[in-house]
Amino acid sequence: MAENNPRTYEGTSDIKIENPDMIICRCEEITLKEIQQAISEGAMSVNEVKRRTRAGMGLCQGRSCSRLVRKLIAEHTNQKFGSIKPGTARPPVRPLPLKLLASLEEDSNG
Amino acid sequence: MANPDVVVIGGGIIGTCCAYYLAKEGLKVTLIERGEICSEASKSSQGHLFLWELPEINIELAKASKKLYWQLNEELDFDIELRNTGSMSIADSPQDFDALKKTIEELRNAGVSCELLDSNEFTKAEPNVTPDIAGGAYFPDDGQLNPLLATIAIAQAAKKLGAELKTKTEVTGIELSPDKSKVAGVQTDNGKISTKYIVNAAGAWSAPIGEMAGINIPVVPRKGNLIVVENVPDDFINCKIIIASGYLDSLKGDNEVAVAANVQQTKEGNLLLGSSREFAGFNKEVNPEVISEIAKRCIRFFPALAELHTIRSWAGLRPYSPDMMPIISDSPIEGFYVATGHEGVGITMGPITGKLIAQLITEQKTELPVEQLSVNRFAKQS
Repeated sequence: MAENNPRTYEGTSDIKIENPDMIICRCEEITLKEIQQAISEGAMSVNEVKRRTRAGMGLCQGRSCSRLVRKLIAEHTNQKFGSIKPGTARPPVRPLPLKLLASLEEDSNG
Repeated sequence: MANPDVVVIGGGIIGTCCAYYLAKEGLKVTLIERGEICSEASKSSQGHLFLWELPEINIELAKASKKLYWQLNEELDFDIELRNTGSMSIADSPQDFDALKKTIEELRNAGVSCELLDSNEFTKAEPNVTPDIAGGAYFPDDGQLNPLLATIAIAQAAKKLGAELKTKTEVTGIELSPDKSKVAGVQTDNGKISTKYIVNAAGAWSAPIGEMAGINIPVVPRKGNLIVVENVPDDFINCKIIIASGYLDSLKGDNEVAVAANVQQTKEGNLLLGSSREFAGFNKEVNPEVISEIAKRCIRFFPALAELHTIRSWAGLRPYSPDMMPIISDSPIEGFYVATGHEGVGITMGPITGKLIAQLITEQKTELPVEQLSVNRFAKQS
């Protein structure tokens, strides 16, 4: 069901992506053109597109662009949206001041 | 499809460089990678071209490799963010400074350019570094690149020269001739490939691949954690690479876990904070205690880091060889070549490793002596 509902986490996207200068990854300001080039040169997963273009490397860690990137890969490769996996998620879940990370041990002991 | 002349196992910087230089020699190359191109240690790296890791052969390899990157830079399809940055080493305490002075003597004897700095000179060059340090050193020859873009660009260049890149394909066995003296082929979960030459460039996984051919490669995974920090202005860190002088000690394999502050800024402006070394098998999970320790030590040198945000952390597995020298060699099995064990300098040494392997396989004179890099050095010990 998620496949048909763009507003769920797994949902596909109904948006028409046509303008080559449209920003897909807003954190890193990566355009449709750049992502399409990476895909046409063989990037076939969200992680591969990310390594090549930086889409998903920014502050939100791909939370908003990942779905559009998956849609673009799915369209290019004639696959279902759901068969393109999201990128790898890594800690921290949201930006964290380094001083908090540095005091992690003290916190867990106290 | 016709059989390849050579199968390269591994799609990291070492494997892609081997594929590139072999294809450049006119050989028909198939590269096999279990995951995607650049999906393990190469993607986990800071991208530092590190020209002062002893012993001397490492320094020679690193220097030659850096030259090759500048040549490659002209041939690749896209920018790999290669630049000359130099690097700096910080001595925390007077004892560390004394140790650093000794190290610098050794490094100079091995042909490394470096300059000692007292704490005033250091903080004049780097105003964001705390004045509460004993001193440091400057190494003008180090460089930096984006390891993701470099690996992918070199893979793409190899492909253009005719190499076939078979990703999502896992090696399941090595086939030898009936008398077990020669390579015959590679078995994969996607079928068998007959070949005369195999290059084992499987990084942290090169020992199990060696075993399939009956060759002992005592390389084990050594985990490193990194923290990415939000974009900061260019003048946050003028020399883009600043490392605690204890880093060289952390390379030694005596401790299960070793941490040394290692602050680097990428061309895009993010900071990459390391570094750690940990023997934890093939576990690639981020170790929270270790990244906390990294954060603490980096803040000690750069107090302004405390207020900056980390956006991601990760861990990767370096291929650790017990004598901290890479293995770049043929082997007792005819046609089976080994290119692994680079530990933290795989990105640094990728191109020279690829070139030496190509020279070995095509029976040319190698541009650096490779005898001491032979895999046989481990067979003799046992």
